[in-house]
Amino acid sequence: MTAAAIDALQDAVRAAASGGGRLRIRGSGSKDFYGGALEGDVLDTRALRGIVAYAPTELVVTARAGTQLAEIEDELARHGQMLAFEPPRHGPGATLGGVVACGFSGPRRAAAGAVRDFVLGVRIVDGTGEALAFGGQVIKNVAGFDVSRLMAGALGTLGVLTEISLKCVPLPRVERTRAIDCDAADAIRRCNEWGGRPLPISATCHVAGRLWVRLSGAGPAVSAAAVEIGGADADDAAPWRAIRDQTHPFFAPAVTGPVPLWRLSVRSTAPCDDLGCDTLVEWGGALRWLVPRAPVEASRLRAWAAAHGGHATLYRAQDKSPGVFQPLAPAMAGLHERLKRTFDPHGILNHGRLYPAF
Amino acid sequence: MNAATGTRGRPTAEAIRSVTEGLRLTCGDRVATGQAIRDQHGHGEGLADGALPDVVVFPQSNDEVAAVVRLCAAARMPVIAFGVGTSLEGHVAALYGGVCIDLSQMNRVLEVHAEDLDCRVQAGVTREQLNAELKGTGLFFPIDPGANATLGGMASTRASGTNAVRYGTMRENVLGLTVVTADGRIVHTGGRARKSSAGYDLTRLFVGAEGTLGVITEVAVRLYGIPEAISAAVCQFPDLKSAVDSVIVAMQLGVPVARIELLDAVQMDASIRYSRLDGFAAKPTLFFEFHGTEASVREQAETIESITGDHGGSAFRWTSSPEERSKLWKARHNAYYAALALAPGSQAFATDACVPISRLADCVMETQADIDATGLIAPILGHVGDGNFHLVIVFDPARPGDREKAEGLAARASLRAIAMGGTCTGEHGIGVHKLDALVVEHGEAVSLMQAVKRALDPLDIMNPGKTVPHAGPVAGRP
Ligand SMILES: Cc1cc2nc3c(=O)[nH]c(=O)nc-3n(C[C@H](O)[C@H](O)[C@H](O)COP(=O)(O)OP(=O)(O)OC[C@H]3O[C@@H](n4cnc5c(N)ncnc54)[C@H](O)[C@@H]3O)c2cc1C
Repeated sequence: MTAAAIDALQDAVRAAASGGGRLRIRGSGSKDFYGGALEGDVLDTRALRGIVAYAPTELVVTARAGTQLAEIEDELARHGQMLAFEPPRHGPGATLGGVVACGFSGPRRAAAGAVRDFVLGVRIVDGTGEALAFGGQVIKNVAGFDVSRLMAGALGTLGVLTEISLKCVPLPRVERTRAIDCDAADAIRRCNEWGGRPLPISATCHVAGRLWVRLSGAGPAVSAAAVEIGGADADDAAPWRAIRDQTHPFFAPAVTGPVPLWRLSVRSTAPCDDLGCDTLVEWGGALRWLVPRAPVEASRLRAWAAAHGGHATLYRAQDKSPGVFQPLAPAMAGLHERLKRTFDPHGILNHGRLYPAF
Repeated sequence: MNAATGTRGRPTAEAIRSVTEGLRLTCGDRVATGQAIRDQHGHGEGLADGALPDVVVFPQSNDEVAAVVRLCAAARMPVIAFGVGTSLEGHVAALYGGVCIDLSQMNRVLEVHAEDLDCRVQAGVTREQLNAELKGTGLFFPIDPGANATLGGMASTRASGTNAVRYGTMRENVLGLTVVTADGRIVHTGGRARKSSAGYDLTRLFVGAEGTLGVITEVAVRLYGIPEAISAAVCQFPDLKSAVDSVIVAMQLGVPVARIELLDAVQMDASIRYSRLDGFAAKPTLFFEFHGTEASVREQAETIESITGDHGGSAFRWTSSPEERSKLWKARHNAYYAALALAPGSQAFATDACVPISRLADCVMETQADIDATGLIAPILGHVGDGNFHLVIVFDPARPGDREKAEGLAARASLRAIAMGGTCTGEHGIGVHKLDALVVEHGEAVSLMQAVKRALDPLDIMNPGKTVPHAGPVAGRP
């Protein structure tokens, strides 16, 4: 069945290549909101379904790209394991391929690493219809160019992901969330101070005057850290899932309303300047979600992010005319276009989703 | 094909002369053409066979590197970046002559951001230098491939080494790069914001590219707080399999051990003699190091000791004094030289299989049987916590057939790993010696890697002949 599904996918890509068509790769569509234009005929990946290999003792799971994240994470949890990057789903049907293509990582990212850090290997169908495999199932592999990690975050513009191998990790034995009332500047200062110490912090979030800190690990270490960082236990109110999937009320104006949502990736020590936005801070200060209280110039946010070592993404918006992603410097743009042409010489796959030029 | 090298011969004397003149205008007297310097830059460690560059240049800035690359591009002259030449697979051999860019004079630590836990350094900074300069900040850079390699070289080989179980490899720890591309432009990948980059993750493409896609001039890496507590322990086993099985159980329990190193009986024998390790037997041995708080180190150690005990391991021998610990790790790092010393006049090279943890015991035991059958000296050692282990295959170049036997053993070690769902190289890289194995391992995907190479280096001047096999364009691809 899967072989047939991959054949069909290759045929669709080849047909588009010879007929000048374009394809829009899609799993459940939970991330349709993300990125630039949605162009071309839908290429549905959900026929590529199922876990291909999972030996818990190996700490590696291989699944087809159209498999639901929920299915994978449930299976891992049954064996006491998890995906350490805590993939955002943004919808019940979210597929593995979608989250890897978007390069999304959730609250645990600052402590555990990003999705790309856990990708060990991929199978893709490139823009010529060729099925290819990169990387593998082992933790370390330096054979040739690291193409599999290039796929993470490429938004499907370099190939259709068909199968992905990910490193998984044991579930923490104990998990506890503490809440500390403080302002954002204080929260960022505290998080950066904790960052250099061997504390089992697995997530932080500051929103609406409260800093939430999740501790994960062995019992004694978590207990000791809970005392050290202060605050009060807040497990029942822990916001992690709601932040991961943006069901938290902070995001509501953007998720259900017309207000744009900006995602700023900056140095964790970047200050809390007033940018005219409500702000939710994750990843110890390195990730700032901004919901403008009144319209804000994209260029202002981008300049601020750049000044603090990062970049700003228009994560959700009805009007994407300011451009979703921070524009690239000319030399970098040149490298991007050459890579795009290498993987997808006819410009079929997710045209315009990452940058308008390709 | 390369214009300056005709049918991939070496550059013509005229081309060398004119490029050398251009280099002198750019870098003054930091241009060397003497035999001794070229000799020194024509090979790494491992097998002695190398090939000399025609010129060696020592740039001091990004702009100088860019100017050198532009000169070479105009003359279609190969460019080989050089850190300190500790790579093991013929990475720096100037197969087609050309210009070796030695980055050792780009050795400044540019910025340390203690609060952000990162720093930016020039590519020629060595890891020991970086850690020395971090003294007093409470931070350290953990990636440790044994050799005192440069950050640029380590990024280019995607190095890992003894600390990878806990801290990852260069792949996870490089935050951003400054790269001079094959057309002599300077680009910055990643950024100070370490959590993501805009656009394609080009950092990951240049990391591990072995200098075939561009010259790295600056590297931004993650730093870590020096753990409150560090302790090391040694455990000896009655047989190899018990040692390997202990590691497998430890990894599967997810114990965050900082280092786990295996040395087999032959290697222990060699290291006891070479590094004067007192009080150890020539038996299969695991070296452990634990990092964390006092409490977590104790907890990790207790868990591990009970696992090793179940597998017939000896009681832990602790080394908590820094001096004793560094002696132990020095012995581990010198394992290669210790193995060489087993047979004076011999040469040696290393294999680098990495397999899924569940196949590790099978792979090690089959390899052991293969070594025995060849009659060669080839100790087994490695960072087994990642499923990665090495043979140091010692052979006598003067004895007819010895090298062939050694190469056969190495090739089988690669193929065995690939057949078990692993890779021919977990950390050393492809260089020239593993090109054949790469093709076995990656099949069709190699042609896409070749296309990536052509896209980023259309003139094929960046370390030509390494990492991916040469190939002409394939139909349907640019
Ligand atoms: C005894 C011994 C033990 C070792 N153990 C390990 C180990 O445990 N784990 C491990 O991973 N490695 C190990 N190595 C291998 C070695 O240390 C690494 O390959 C190292 O990363 C190379 O760094 P270098 O500065 O010596 O680079 P070089 O050897 O000079 O160069 C390596 C490659 O990178 C390219 N390069 C160098 N600098 C740049 C640059 N600035 N820009 C672009 N390309 C560049 C070169 O062209 C070449 O292809 C060991 C080596 C020895 C001798």
